[in-house]
Amino acid sequence: MTANKLEVTVHYQPNAAVFDLSGELTALAGEALQAAYGAAENQNPEVIFLNFASVDYINSTGIAAIISLLARARQANRSLMAYGLRPFYAELFEVAGLANYMPILSAEADLLEPA
Amino acid sequence: MMNQSSPSPNPTWQTLVEFALPSQLDSEHLALLKVTEAVRELRLPAAHLERLKTAVAEATLNAIEHGNRSRPDLPVLIRVQVSQKALRVCVTDQGSGLSAKPVTPNLADKLNGRQPLRGWGFFLIEKTMDDLRLSGDDAHHTIELFLYLEGGSHDSK
Repeated sequence: MTANKLEVTVHYQPNAAVFDLSGELTALAGEALQAAYGAAENQNPEVIFLNFASVDYINSTGIAAIISLLARARQANRSLMAYGLRPFYAELFEVAGLANYMPILSAEADLLEPA
Repeated sequence: MMNQSSPSPNPTWQTLVEFALPSQLDSEHLALLKVTEAVRELRLPAAHLERLKTAVAEATLNAIEHGNRSRPDLPVLIRVQVSQKALRVCVTDQGSGLSAKPVTPNLADKLNGRQPLRGWGFFLIEKTMDDLRLSGDDAHHTIELFLYLEGGSHDSK
């Protein structure tokens, strides 16, 4: 069995970028995540959504890759938000404290719908 | 969170599988695949299986990177055993001595560059297993992961 490398597809909403993640979130994911962020910066989104719906495995090095992305976004006063996480991984993000810095939504529509 | 005591002081353990893996990238995937296959007949609840897979992968990663310093010629030994009340997975590397418990990760410190970004492995093991034990000598280091088959600290979740 070999690692299923993460693929990131970026699309845009008004003031937001959505990263559709597919594969496994491990140390190998860092490069793809940073490249996607670099591309999205050109659109200057206020928020970046991370769509985890097609992520089937996350390990500790993948969490570190997300933290690296989060640190970069915070330096640019940009928000990261997550959705589509499997309940087990949502729980891990909670206990790691990630949810305090990167809200976990039940769906992308939660943020995009007007209040 | 972990409990501080195992469910039985002297359980009888049945070995389900025992294998060795090289200390290289992707061995943690193979480890969780083999362990998942070994426990299939136990019909663990899905949540238990998720926790087990995460803990086994992280323990194997630690053994590869920290214990065996990513030297492919040094094996990681994994043994899966079951008793009436618990599942035990022993992960042994060729590192020496009993490692101290790693620093608890602090996300704020990591975001501010005061802690390295990595260092979540042991934390995830602690959060997903019901109990764990560390042991070692001059030539080996072992972490034992315990998942209680009933009455574990995660059962109410």
